[in-house]
Amino acid sequence: MKTALIFGISGQDGAYLARLLLEKGYRVAGTSRDAQMVSLRNLDTLGIRDRLTLHSVTLTDFRSVLTVLTKVAPDEIYHLAGQSSVGLSFEQPVETFMSIGVGTLNLLEAVRFLGAPVRLYNASSSDCFGDTGGAPATERTPFAPRSPYAVAKAAAHFEVANYREAYALYACSGILFNHESPLRPARFVTRKIVTAAARIAAGSGERLRLGNIEVARDWGWAPEYVEAMWAMLQQDAPEDLVIATGATITLAEFTAQAFAAAGLDWSDHVDVDKSLFRPADIAVSRANPARADDRLGWKAVMHPADVARAMVEHEMRQPPRENIVS
Amino acid sequence: MKSKVALITGITGQDGAYLAELLLQKGYEVHGIKRRASLFNTQRIDHLYRDPHETDRKLVLHYGDLSDSTNLIRIVQEVRPDEVYNLAAQSHVKVSFESPEYTADVDALGTLRILEAIRILGLAKHTRFYQASTSELFGKVQETPQTETTPFYPRSPYAVAKLYAYWITVNYREAYGMYACNGILFNHESPLRGETFVTRKITRAMARIKLGLQDCLYLGNLSALRDWGHARDYVEMQWLMLQQDAPDDFVIATGKQYSVRDFVRMTADELGIKLRFQGEGEQEKGIDVDTGKCLVAVDPRYFRPTEVETLLGDPTKAREKLGWRPRITLEQMVAEMVRADLSEAERDSLCMKHGFNVFDYNE
Repeated sequence: MKTALIFGISGQDGAYLARLLLEKGYRVAGTSRDAQMVSLRNLDTLGIRDRLTLHSVTLTDFRSVLTVLTKVAPDEIYHLAGQSSVGLSFEQPVETFMSIGVGTLNLLEAVRFLGAPVRLYNASSSDCFGDTGGAPATERTPFAPRSPYAVAKAAAHFEVANYREAYALYACSGILFNHESPLRPARFVTRKIVTAAARIAAGSGERLRLGNIEVARDWGWAPEYVEAMWAMLQQDAPEDLVIATGATITLAEFTAQAFAAAGLDWSDHVDVDKSLFRPADIAVSRANPARADDRLGWKAVMHPADVARAMVEHEMRQPPRENIVS
Repeated sequence: MKSKVALITGITGQDGAYLAELLLQKGYEVHGIKRRASLFNTQRIDHLYRDPHETDRKLVLHYGDLSDSTNLIRIVQEVRPDEVYNLAAQSHVKVSFESPEYTADVDALGTLRILEAIRILGLAKHTRFYQASTSELFGKVQETPQTETTPFYPRSPYAVAKLYAYWITVNYREAYGMYACNGILFNHESPLRGETFVTRKITRAMARIKLGLQDCLYLGNLSALRDWGHARDYVEMQWLMLQQDAPDDFVIATGKQYSVRDFVRMTADELGIKLRFQGEGEQEKGIDVDTGKCLVAVDPRYFRPTEVETLLGDPTKAREKLGWRPRITLEQMVAEMVRADLSEAERDSLCMKHGFNVFDYNE
């Protein structure tokens, strides 16, 4: 039986990945900064909490990382932890780099130190590409990150590449484009839109305030993306890959799809608020995931419009609740 | 008119010393940050230094460290600089493989800490910021020669940390309208270069071999190709970059490339040593033609886990936009470095002859 260790198991991807690996017969351990205090709602939602072992680990503390690696002795490590909000990274740039840049370095050093034949997946991000001027990004596209989050992710990406090349580690990064699900936290714009649409459909009468709705993204379905993560660690040789649907729509279109799925016309309910614009935002994010298909046989089934609809449909199936989203 | 105020991090280093000298000549009030150490570490700027008890000092040193935000914020607040030159770093590529976390803390986060200090103090529209970026960013080069648009492929913890510093500088320019720019400097050397960097290691060792103070020089990858300029030329460009209408990033290089082996040969020529290379790879040796002695040998311990084989910069943009071009040739620079190291070796030799203790300072 293989053992997997997921750093950042309490997040969206961590939860879906844990479920996938359990289905595949793995023994799954996960980490969180404080395993006693963290919200395990995602793991509860998927009904897998009791089938995992959880450890408190601070990635910025090398000793803490080394201890959990020794204790769990994993065959595969999935590094999904780190400050994950672009917006917050402008407020907390130091913490963002500590958790992403230094955290990844500690993990790589710990793997190197132990010398075990462990495989490491690193969650890289399409934000590393910045604005490609509408050109679809591939594994060959140069990085031009535009937020403290993206700069930190770019550094982590090259840390992984450097340790792979310098020390022959099986380590690789999935350059994942946006991927959503009902487990997305409410501060992410997609979730904010679908929860608002569901509430408005239920008669809340509220208005939805959005930032720049002309931004365009390639939104995929997170439960599919964790399959790509797993597949990347099952290859003969480690390789960095772009993971995306290959289709891009604007935030306005995403909103329109979501509201339509709730039986609403979005233009009746949405206000654009300039104060929500980011200091330096990426206009269009577009991907060409052909290599992932070629190497892994992985291809996204759900495209951005499907994602919007699926998220709203999920929201509308939930029992009515108070507006807990600011 | 009140003189301009500059703050230099890393003022005790090679570039810091040349830059401080340049700015003082231009009438700046220069502030520098130096780390506390139990050994004196201001040799390179001693000739510029003025006692704290003198009035109207133009060069002021502050104790500080890029790993301490509170310290940086306080210094920036006190100095309120017109220009900040961020030259401080753990700057040794090989050492970064040994101390990757420290390198990330100082080189990556250190840059962010200064940018944040400037921003938090409301100086974002006042203070101009220069970031010492590096040709090591190109690492496994994606095209040759390298320009401002060549994609990066860093190949060491040092280069990865510098990648972060490069992009966070760009990000603060774009997000907050700061006058912040990167000089992507290719290797630049001088008699002030640190003794563990390959050029200085070569000129120093060959000078000592010449005087019989040392037997053999051990090097890593002799075939590594580099674009070597003189630090004195390069600090002028650092200053120029902060005097423009708008901030921009520039490659600073000579556009000429030589191997480490070439550099050894030029050094030997300068010292009048006839050197012949024979053998290949780890067996390659530099033999003194006159005596048959092996003066240069390869030691794999100096190999890096991931080598940067070739770097060649294209300084066209710097020439066309800023009118900058390097003045000192590699031959002139090697001659200057050899003169300085020979003079030090002669001093050591003289001391030894008279029974005084002399340190080898081998790594």
